[in-house]
Amino acid sequence: MNFFHSIRWRQQLWHGLLLALVLAGFGFAAWRLRQRDEMRRIDQELDERVSWVVRAGAALRPLQDRPPPVHPWPPQDGLPPDRPWPGDHPAAGNPPPDMQQLRLPEHEANLFDGGPGGAFYYIAWHPDGREISRSLSAPAGVPHPAWADSPRGSRLRGTHRERFHFPPTGDCILVGRDISHDLADLRRFAWLLGGAGGMVLLLGLAGGWWISTRALRPIGDISAAAARISTGDLTERIRTRDTDSELGQLASVLNATFARLDEAFTRQARFTADAAHELRTPVTVMLTHTQNGLDSPCDNEEHREAFEASQRAGQRMRHLIQSLLALARLDSGEAAALRAPCDLDRLARDTTELLRPLAEEQGVTLEVELMPTRCEGNEEQLGQVVTNLVSNAIFYNRPGGSVRVKVSTEADTAVLSVCDTGQGVSREDLPHIFERFYRADKARASVAGHTGLGLAITKAIVEAHGGSIEVATELGQGSSFTVKLPL
Amino acid sequence: MRLLVVEDEPDLLAGLVRALRKQGYSVDTAPDGEEGLYKARDTDYDAIVLDVMLPRLDGWELLARLRETKATPVLMLTARDRSADRVRGLDAGADDYLVKPFDTPELLARLRALIRRTAGQTRTTLDIGEVQINTAARTVTSAGRPVTLTAREYVLLEYLALHRGDVVTRTELYEHLFDESETTLSNIIDVHVFNLRRKMGQDFIVTRRGHGYCIE
Repeated sequence: MNFFHSIRWRQQLWHGLLLALVLAGFGFAAWRLRQRDEMRRIDQELDERVSWVVRAGAALRPLQDRPPPVHPWPPQDGLPPDRPWPGDHPAAGNPPPDMQQLRLPEHEANLFDGGPGGAFYYIAWHPDGREISRSLSAPAGVPHPAWADSPRGSRLRGTHRERFHFPPTGDCILVGRDISHDLADLRRFAWLLGGAGGMVLLLGLAGGWWISTRALRPIGDISAAAARISTGDLTERIRTRDTDSELGQLASVLNATFARLDEAFTRQARFTADAAHELRTPVTVMLTHTQNGLDSPCDNEEHREAFEASQRAGQRMRHLIQSLLALARLDSGEAAALRAPCDLDRLARDTTELLRPLAEEQGVTLEVELMPTRCEGNEEQLGQVVTNLVSNAIFYNRPGGSVRVKVSTEADTAVLSVCDTGQGVSREDLPHIFERFYRADKARASVAGHTGLGLAITKAIVEAHGGSIEVATELGQGSSFTVKLPL
Repeated sequence: MRLLVVEDEPDLLAGLVRALRKQGYSVDTAPDGEEGLYKARDTDYDAIVLDVMLPRLDGWELLARLRETKATPVLMLTARDRSADRVRGLDAGADDYLVKPFDTPELLARLRALIRRTAGQTRTTLDIGEVQINTAARTVTSAGRPVTLTAREYVLLEYLALHRGDVVTRTELYEHLFDESETTLSNIIDVHVFNLRRKMGQDFIVTRRGHGYCIE
């Protein structure tokens, strides 16, 4: 079955695709949410610290007696540049001479001494841009934040998250933290989501495979049963466990169809058999009386001819009845019984010997080449196969021609071949020679004993035995029929 | 040789009777099973030709009931030719089986074989001294010379030859040589025997006074 045309594979593909999309969307949303929460938490921590630093700075302000407690906001140029700023850590490098140390309560100062989430740091700038104070943990080269629309702002600088505040004093307070740990956590979370999603996808695919296998199993049953039916076993039915599902209903409909087909075939075979049976007695009457007429002394030539013609017609009807019955029986599958091991070579020899007088009468030589071959079958029917093929080969031969009958074993098949040196079968006739009542040689159609059913019966018997029949022919050279039967 | 034909199809019955009589058999007929059984029980036939499909009593039943008392050889005629049917017929006590439609010569040959087998003969020729009887060809030679016999004479000779060494009573000969429809003169057997002796020699058929005839 083509990979891309298999319903199961297509179903699996779409199922997988949808599942992957849903999982990806869900995972991405979860990651974004977590990321936002993390950032908000970090920002809250930073804001808290910003307020402390602002408070600490503001607390120092009145002691310095300058500048006024409330500055117009936003800070204006022209503020005293030498406004002192308290700080407990000197800025890196050369601290400005008037730089003040910011003094934070001890508990809060600890918060700038590093922690599990990386060290917090602060930097305070004078409104004129000078750095007033910075914590020890502050990295070098932190640029002064740009004034934005609101007194508060935040930025992400590399792996550093920074919050800044422009208090009414006009200074700028910045608190930041290295968030590479948090980012790594987020990455781990993303991996976790990816892994879990992958697992779920695999589970989903496996589950989908299981479901589609279950769903498609009735279809497999249906097609297997249909295949068996198409090979000729019309009694076969689809066995379904659930009759309520859609496929169960389909199976029921198909079963009903098969039953009707079976019935129609049986009826047809029975009709043929019955008709043939009904013909038996009248034909017997005809044969008996014409034979009596022929046996009695008769001077009238015309009467004699009439008796002879009727006798011939009666004999033909007799053969026809036998052939029709044989076919009806083969059609109904009745013939499959009564199998036993039989010697095909002996069968071929005996049957061929019986036909030798006919061959001599037709001026045809019979040659046999028989290897010991045993096969399973019905001896009477297989004898019929040999009789039909050999008598055809004799009958459709040329005077002085020959018929070669061969039996051998090839691999695990018994092979019977009958070759003649007759006129062969034309290309137009070849596809039809196994059809019922088809005769290639219409001119010779009326010869007694040839009903036009011989090859049809032969084929039916061979197929009932699970074998095959082939014909190779060349016009004017002869034909060769090969029957292969399982051992 | 006296035969019973049980057949319900009148045309077939008439044809069979004509063919059999032509061969020198005396033939009784029955158009249905009941009459067939009655006649088969009543008379010692040499053989019975019995159709399977019969009104009133079918061939199987007739055969089964006949076999309770008699072993008359039976050739069954049937329109069924499956081997299962054949097996059933032979198991039921039929001695041979012929499927319709058949050739008259085949029926005659089978009947001859049946009668021969019943008499314990397996060959188609009977040798009595110089006399040779070919039961298949129905010809008689004496010392290599063909002897011309009428059908009745031949049947009488064949019956005595088949029962060689036995004394065959005149009544028995009447029963086997003439059918129910024939009204015969009481001395017709003697006439035939006389003619046979004339053709075959005086000592060929021995007369046992008060008993009957015998070929020794």
